[in-house]
Amino acid sequence: MTQHIAQEPYIALKGISKAYNIGGQAVPIFSGLDLCIPHGDFVAVMGPSGSGKSTLLNMLAGIDRPDAGSLRIGASHLDQMGEAARSSWRAHHMGIVFQFYNLLPILTAAENVELPLLLKPLSRRERRIRVERVLDLVGLGGRERQYPGVMSGGQQQRVGIARAIVCDPGLLLCDEPTGDLDRKSADEILEMLCFLNRQLGKTIVMVTHDPQAALHAKRTLHLDKGDFVEERRAA
Amino acid sequence: MTFFDLARKNAWRKPLRTLLLMVCIAVAFLIYGLAASFVAGAQGAAGASDELLGVMSATGRTQPLPMALMPRIAADPEVAAVGYMTRMRGFIEVEKNVVAVSAVDPGLLMSVNGKELGLTADLVDAIGQARENVLVGRALADAQGWTAGQRIAVTTFDIAKQDGSRDWRFEIAGIFEGENASTDTYFMIGRYDYVNAVRARGKDTVDAFIVRPQASAVPDLAAHIDQLFANSAAPTRTQSEKQFLEAFLRQYADIGMIVNLVTGAAFVTVLMIVVNTMVFAVRERLFEIGVLKTLGFSQTRIVALILGETLFVFAIGGGCGLALAKLATVFAGPNLGLVFSPLVFAKALAILLVLGFATGALPALNAIRTPIINAFRSR
Repeated sequence: MTQHIAQEPYIALKGISKAYNIGGQAVPIFSGLDLCIPHGDFVAVMGPSGSGKSTLLNMLAGIDRPDAGSLRIGASHLDQMGEAARSSWRAHHMGIVFQFYNLLPILTAAENVELPLLLKPLSRRERRIRVERVLDLVGLGGRERQYPGVMSGGQQQRVGIARAIVCDPGLLLCDEPTGDLDRKSADEILEMLCFLNRQLGKTIVMVTHDPQAALHAKRTLHLDKGDFVEERRAA
Repeated sequence: MTFFDLARKNAWRKPLRTLLLMVCIAVAFLIYGLAASFVAGAQGAAGASDELLGVMSATGRTQPLPMALMPRIAADPEVAAVGYMTRMRGFIEVEKNVVAVSAVDPGLLMSVNGKELGLTADLVDAIGQARENVLVGRALADAQGWTAGQRIAVTTFDIAKQDGSRDWRFEIAGIFEGENASTDTYFMIGRYDYVNAVRARGKDTVDAFIVRPQASAVPDLAAHIDQLFANSAAPTRTQSEKQFLEAFLRQYADIGMIVNLVTGAAFVTVLMIVVNTMVFAVRERLFEIGVLKTLGFSQTRIVALILGETLFVFAIGGGCGLALAKLATVFAGPNLGLVFSPLVFAKALAILLVLGFATGALPALNAIRTPIINAFRSR
C-alpha cells in the first residue's frame, strides 16, 4: 500500500475497501487504499484491466460506495451520504467525461450541454448564455443545433466536456476520454483538459490506458491489483 | 429546453410507436366518451325530471288508468298541477322507423311539464287550432327532416281507429326544443281529445298522469298518491320521471353496468399495452438513465421524467379521443341521446391522469431501482 500525501488534500481516500460478489464469492478490489489529491491537481490513473481504475472513478463520482474506509471530496463525505445526497453532490460539484461521450442522441449539442443546468434554479436565458459560453470555450460555437449523430468523435467529446463543465464543478472525472479518438483529436481533447486544469483550476482525475495521454497530467499513478504501485510526476 | 421538452423528446424517440400508442389510447377514450355520453343522456333519463311524478297502473305500464282518477289526484293539496297522457307507438312508412306520439291536453301539459319540454304559449295555441295538429320534438324533427306545416302519417302498432285503420294523419303545428340538450325530444305531442274520440277501444283512459308537486310537497308524495288508490279497481304506482325512465331502460339491460364493463375492458387493455411498451421503452434507454443519474438527476426527477412522458402520451391520445367523442355528440348527439356533459369530461380527465400515472409507475420504478453501475452495463 502506497500513501500519496499532499498538502491541502481536496480528495482524501483513507482505508478504502471494496469487494464485488462474483458467483457467490467476494472478490476484493481494494483493501485499505489511501489517496490524497490536492486542489487543482491533474492526476492520471493507469493500470491493467481489472486493477480497479473504473471502480476508483465510480467511487469518486459517488455512483459506487466503498465497503469500508472514508472518502472525502472537498467538505463532502461521500461514504456517509445517501443516494439523494450523492445525486445532489454530483449535480453541484462534479463533472464527468465518458470514453464514448454518452450524449443523448435525441438532443442537440446545446441541449445535451444544458442537461445538468436543468437541475439548477436558472432562467432559460441564463441557461442559454452558459451553454453558448462553454460551447465557445470548447470550440463548438455555431454548432449548437447539431445532433450528436452528425458530429465526429472529437466534436462529440468536446460536447461531453462542455456538459461536464457547464455547471462549473471543482472536480472533473474523465474515464478514458481519448479512448475512442484518433491521435489528433485525442491531443486536442487533452490540450483542452490541460487548459481547464491550468486556466480554470479544475481538479482532474483521468483514467487512461494511453501513456501519451497520461503525459499531459501533472502526475500519474499506476494501479495494480487494487493498490498504487508507482507514481510519476511530470517534469 | 425545459424538463417537459426532455420528456416530450423522449416520448417522440420512436414516432411510429408513440403514434400507435396514442391511437390506442384515443380509441379507448373515444369508446369511453361515447359510452359515458350515452349513459349521461340515457335516452333522456338524465334530462328527465327528478321532480315530476308519473302515476301509472300498478299492474303494468301497458295497463291504462281511468280518467276518473284525475280529480282525486288534483285535489291533493301537495299537488300543484296534473296532466295526463296516452302514449301511441307507431312508425313512419317503414316499421323500423319508429316514432311515439304522446296524446295530451296541451294546456295541462304546459302547466305541468311545459318548461322542461320547452313549450311556449304560441306552440300551445298552434296545436289548439285543429284536432290533428301535433308538436314535434327537435330531435325527431331533425332526424325525419320535418318542418312545421308538413303533413305526416303514423301507423300505430297497438291503437286502432274505429274504422279499423291504424293510420293516423297529423299536421305539424310547431317544433318544441326541450329545455336543454339532454331533454328527450324524440317524440311528438298530439291531442288527447282527438285520439280519444277516434280510437276504437280504451276510451276515457290514459297511460299515465303527470304530477307536478307543490314546492313544499312532502318527500313521500308518490306513496301518498298510491295510497289513495290502493284498494280501488285501478291501483297505481307513482314514480319520478327519472326513476321511470331508468327502470324502463333496465327492462332491456343494465346499461350503466354494460358501459362500465366495456370501458373497463378497453382501459385495462390500454393499461396493459402502454405499460408493456413503456417498460420496454425505458429498458431500451436504461443506459441513458444511468447517464442522467450520473449528471445528478435524482430519483424523483427520473420518476417525474418517465411519468411526464406517459402523461404526455395519454394527454395527446386521450385528448384526441375525447375531442372525437365530443364531436360525435355534437353531430349525432340529439339522435342517439348522447350528452357529453362537464361531468363526463371531468371523469375522463381523472381516468386519464390515473392511467397516465399507473402506466408510468412500473417503468419508473424499474428505472430508479437500477443502480447506475448496472445501467452502464446495459448497453
